[in-house]
Amino acid sequence: MTLQNKIIQRYRLFYPQETLREASERTGIQITRVFRLFNGKTMKVSELEAFESAINKKVAESPQYARLNNIVEEALSIFTNEELAKVSDYLERRVTSKKYSRTYIRPLFEDANIA
Amino acid sequence: MRGLSSLERVILECVGNQSLSYDQIQYQSGLQENVCFNIIQALIIRGILKSDKNGYQVNENISPLMMEELNGVEAKKAESLEMIEAVVEQKTEQVFRFQKIAMDSRDEKIFLAMLSNLDSFLKDAHQKAKSSVPLKERKVIFWGVGDIQSVMNQMICGR
Repeated sequence: MTLQNKIIQRYRLFYPQETLREASERTGIQITRVFRLFNGKTMKVSELEAFESAINKKVAESPQYARLNNIVEEALSIFTNEELAKVSDYLERRVTSKKYSRTYIRPLFEDANIA
Repeated sequence: MRGLSSLERVILECVGNQSLSYDQIQYQSGLQENVCFNIIQALIIRGILKSDKNGYQVNENISPLMMEELNGVEAKKAESLEMIEAVVEQKTEQVFRFQKIAMDSRDEKIFLAMLSNLDSFLKDAHQKAKSSVPLKERKVIFWGVGDIQSVMNQMICGR
């Protein structure tokens, strides 16, 4: 996934219900341009920064984020590869379990061909 | 993610060697409907579970490499830690005791013998009740012993 796609995906995670107009107001990017960017048009660096800044603002609302970020940076500098693998594995497991609790619309299981 | 999460393992243990419908898996596991469905989907995508007209069953053609990843020592350790953490954090009916005990060598031997008795008791109890008690009603039990010094050293060295 490109950096641009990642940024847009993260933005949509943090602002899931936001309309194009609201995204435009938040980022300062024209509404038609926001529409194009959401549909895969290549971003300029300034636009990427605008989305990143909006994400960072949202993230800064949670004081634990800065704490986690700091400790991760410190861990990256002092942990061995093996220790980093353990921490990553632990976080990955927590994230996976959390993801499983997301809601879905139940299909008709007995008729659904899922495989 | 390497290995399986405890939730995924529970689903696989429910299915076992049989072919179960979604409702049977949900009943056996006791997981919420959406969680159960999401896990089954994830296991299907990873090629661990498969579905046919009779329901869901474990894929018998899992590669040895994948088997090692699912049942390897590291994966099992991570899974146990997940379960232990959940027990420790349990809000209701929590039974958890952690103590630093001074023990002479005689008492240590007695203690280890008692653990061995406990182990056989649990094995017998499981054999007796495993066909009648669904997975969701089973107990998670764990114990372990370590010397403080070696545990401390391990914490410092990180391995």
